Amino acid sequence: MTDANTPAIACQDLWQVFGPGAEKALTDALARSGNDADAASKILRETGYVPAVQDANFDVKEGELFVIMGLSGSGKSTLIRCISQLLDGTGGQIRIHGEDIMTASKQRLIELRRKKLGMVFQHFGLFPHMTVLDNVAYPLRVQGVSRKERLKKAAEVIELVGLEGREDRYPRELSGGQRQRVGIARSLVADCEVWFLDEPFSALDPLIRRQLQDEFLEIQAKLKTTIVFITHDINEALKLADRIAIMRDGKIVQIGTPTDIVLNPVDDYVREFSKDVAKGQHARVASVMHQGTEGVGPDDPGLRTDMTLDAALAHCMELYEPVPVRDKEGNLVGMVNPADLAAALQVEEA
Amino acid sequence: MTALTDAPTTRVRLTVGTQAALITLLVGAICLALEPVAPWLVKWPAAWVLPATDWVGSILTTVLTTMKPVARGFSALMAYPMDWANFVLNGTPWPLVIGIVTAVGWYLGGLPMAALGFLGLSFVLASGYWSESMNTLALVAVSVPLALLVGGAIGVLANEFPRIKNALQAVLDIMQTVPTFAYLTPLLLLFGFGPVVGLIASAIYAAPPMARNVLLGLERVESEVKEAAVMAGGTRLQQLFQVEIPSASTQIMVGVNQCLMAALSMVIIAAVIGGFNDIGWEVLLTMRKAQFGEALIAGMVIVVFAMVIDRMSGALATERKRYDTRVVWGLLGFAVIFTVAFWTRLPVPSDLTLLDPVSDALDNGLTEFTRSNGAALDAFKNNAMFYVLLPLRIGLDQAVLPFTWGFAWTTNMSLGLFLAGAAIGAVLAWRGNVTGGLMVLIGFGMLETGISNLPWPFVLTGAAALGWVAGGPRLAIMAAGLLSTILISGLWDRALLSLYLSGAAVFACAVVGGLIGLLSAISPLAWKIVRPICDMLQTIPLFVFLIPVLMVFQIGEFSAFLAICAYAIVPMIRYTRHGLVNTPEEMMEAAIASGATQFQIMRDVKAPYAAPTILLGLNQTILYAFAMLVIAALIGTTGLGQSIYLALGKADIGLGISAGAAMAILALVADRLVQGFAEERRKALGL
Repeated sequence: MTDANTPAIACQDLWQVFGPGAEKALTDALARSGNDADAASKILRETGYVPAVQDANFDVKEGELFVIMGLSGSGKSTLIRCISQLLDGTGGQIRIHGEDIMTASKQRLIELRRKKLGMVFQHFGLFPHMTVLDNVAYPLRVQGVSRKERLKKAAEVIELVGLEGREDRYPRELSGGQRQRVGIARSLVADCEVWFLDEPFSALDPLIRRQLQDEFLEIQAKLKTTIVFITHDINEALKLADRIAIMRDGKIVQIGTPTDIVLNPVDDYVREFSKDVAKGQHARVASVMHQGTEGVGPDDPGLRTDMTLDAALAHCMELYEPVPVRDKEGNLVGMVNPADLAAALQVEEA
Repeated sequence: MTALTDAPTTRVRLTVGTQAALITLLVGAICLALEPVAPWLVKWPAAWVLPATDWVGSILTTVLTTMKPVARGFSALMAYPMDWANFVLNGTPWPLVIGIVTAVGWYLGGLPMAALGFLGLSFVLASGYWSESMNTLALVAVSVPLALLVGGAIGVLANEFPRIKNALQAVLDIMQTVPTFAYLTPLLLLFGFGPVVGLIASAIYAAPPMARNVLLGLERVESEVKEAAVMAGGTRLQQLFQVEIPSASTQIMVGVNQCLMAALSMVIIAAVIGGFNDIGWEVLLTMRKAQFGEALIAGMVIVVFAMVIDRMSGALATERKRYDTRVVWGLLGFAVIFTVAFWTRLPVPSDLTLLDPVSDALDNGLTEFTRSNGAALDAFKNNAMFYVLLPLRIGLDQAVLPFTWGFAWTTNMSLGLFLAGAAIGAVLAWRGNVTGGLMVLIGFGMLETGISNLPWPFVLTGAAALGWVAGGPRLAIMAAGLLSTILISGLWDRALLSLYLSGAAVFACAVVGGLIGLLSAISPLAWKIVRPICDMLQTIPLFVFLIPVLMVFQIGEFSAFLAICAYAIVPMIRYTRHGLVNTPEEMMEAAIASGATQFQIMRDVKAPYAAPTILLGLNQTILYAFAMLVIAALIGTTGLGQSIYLALGKADIGLGISAGAAMAILALVADRLVQGFAEERRKALGL
């Protein structure tokens, strides 16, 4: 079923509407609006329904780290719960490795969750009556793995998240950071292929958050699973993501790489987010480079296409003439006007 | 509520509350004025009464008779575990029982709990009521697992199938308001005389708290914990039994605790049907023979059991330290060795008479006390009866007699009373509080007429008016509609009598309990003293309250009134204090920073903030008062409680169930009205 081109996750026309008889209401609304998502949402709202996710369309590639970002109430948590089938989507399709999971049987879903899916929760969702070891081993327990084997596997994952020595503690005896490590370990114990993380670091204080982000990236480099990661923090999204989807009021307003989001926001809402971002740290020289080298100045500060704007600017503080840019191999590929560099870093006026 | 305490405005406005009060006043006045020409406006004519009681009786008898063979079979089946539990508890040598309870106490709560178990059971042993106590425990031991199983299953099912949840919660609500005695009559017919009735009744009575707590616990499991179990790939059964139920264990243990206490309470109440030599029967018997010393000792035995069971099962619901299990084994070992070593010399518990001198001394002391203080006690009782309770019941116009007050009530006095009421009302109205003025006038009218003589249109209108103000038209229709069923079924007079006694008790509890709560909120020292008393009063099974009041004031309405007050005052104290103490710190700081005095903070900040909580306390007090009212029928009250008790004696199902339903209706209407006001207050405060 899976080949190299099948996306790990594919969402098509996905809707999640809350309210009694939501499915029929959605069909009616779409029919009345001629399949126009915005108009249909408006109709739904006016009739007392809550369209929490509206017509979401995106693919997540195998091994990709896909971040969904938005403010609270934007529908991002609902969206991840649709994809993980904690909520039955109201309309549309979700395929995981090509398999439509919206129509999957209960039995098949249980199987999928046992073998393929893992999830980490904002408030950890740890079982209060189990020790760290039992918590982590629980996904294996429901599969009927023998106690000895599952504890061995759990101990391995506990070591991966750096909690060795705390196996016999109860969740209430751990700090927030340690608790989330348990949550991460539990979601990894069954070797998932698709990993859902619902604001995993939002409940932690900033220092612990950064530390866990770094460790998370290390784990990801080792495991290379496909990841859907929810956050409300633009800096976290930019730091971790291969691609970012930005949600607002149930709608995905932009999907793009971190650089896209920062430099080419589609509307004021997205621009508002990137306002807080130190752009120079995320945008690359390539994004402001001109093709061709006509009129390039005499100085060569050694700019590369993959340099951040901050680094590039530091190299040409004293220069006013356009300077040449080279790619990784050192070939001359274009030029940049230092004034453009500075201009790109300006905070845009709303 | 807002309407009733409307801030003074210079312009007269007809708020909902004012309109409601005005209509009620008018209806009452018209009924009273027309009484000479149309007496049916005051008293519902007997000819208009539907024989609903008989219908209920014949229908239920038919239904129950068809169910009888099954029930009798079940009864025979239950006899096995009962006999078995009896055999085990009575057959086990008492040092072993004491040893086991002490060891369990240590395991659950360390030294204090072990001491409680040891001293408590030693007291039981010394009292000579050991075997009666074991009989009671045997009933509890069989009924509680039954109640836990049924209640737990109901709770889990309600959680699994949201569709039946609301219906189920309504049923649980009603079961809580139906008086305990009312269960017994149909059970008697179904299962026949004998301990099994007590067993079933206590299982029925004890299952709802378990169901409620299981449902509550399961609902309160964090959604992410539930989701984590789903995402781990658990089947629904795995999610439920491996994650959700264990996560809810604390709340479920609260349910177990309440279930145990309810079962014990009901087992003791069920003693009134007799046929089983248990401790409740012993209390009843000694009380009837006026052997109050013995009754008190037997009552103390019940209290000891209640305390031991309550504190130990309560320890299950709190996060506890782990105590050394070696001590447990040591205690058990010691008990075994003690039993074996003194096997031939162990006294038979029933022969123990260590406390007989105490009960004799109590009896003598009591006789002495009543003889020397008889006059003062009588005066106290008579004053309370003549000047407070009687006027409330039959009104000043009938209660004021030369015999009681020293003079006769005249029409002029009635006029004077109404004029005084009108004057006070007018002053209030002039100051902007029209509703308050009208309420004063209504109050004076009720005082003149007496609660049991109130015209029925007035009561229905009043209930509907309160419902309207508290919760809108639906509540108004519900209140009036439910009360009408009592009216046409012919139980109206008795319902009014019940209303009068519980009303008087609730009023007394509200005033006294509110003051004690206020005091406890102000002074931590006072709370230190009041709190253990409250804990104690809430642990004591209903039945035991009757003993001390009976000892001092004999059979009668006043004793019943005191017993009801003693039981129903606790929630009022607790909720008042809780509401006053838990004002948010920020609000207090804002008031202090504005320069408010202690009194101003209490009046302007704490009291308004606490109002919804205090209203909930009042609500609990009302429900408690109704519950106790029926039990108090044992020592002489009139009204529905008495009817239920009489029906039990005559096995009159129709009367028993109808009167029980009428009590439940009164409780339900009062509950909804007060809840309505509390809800309205909460909304007004934005809580």
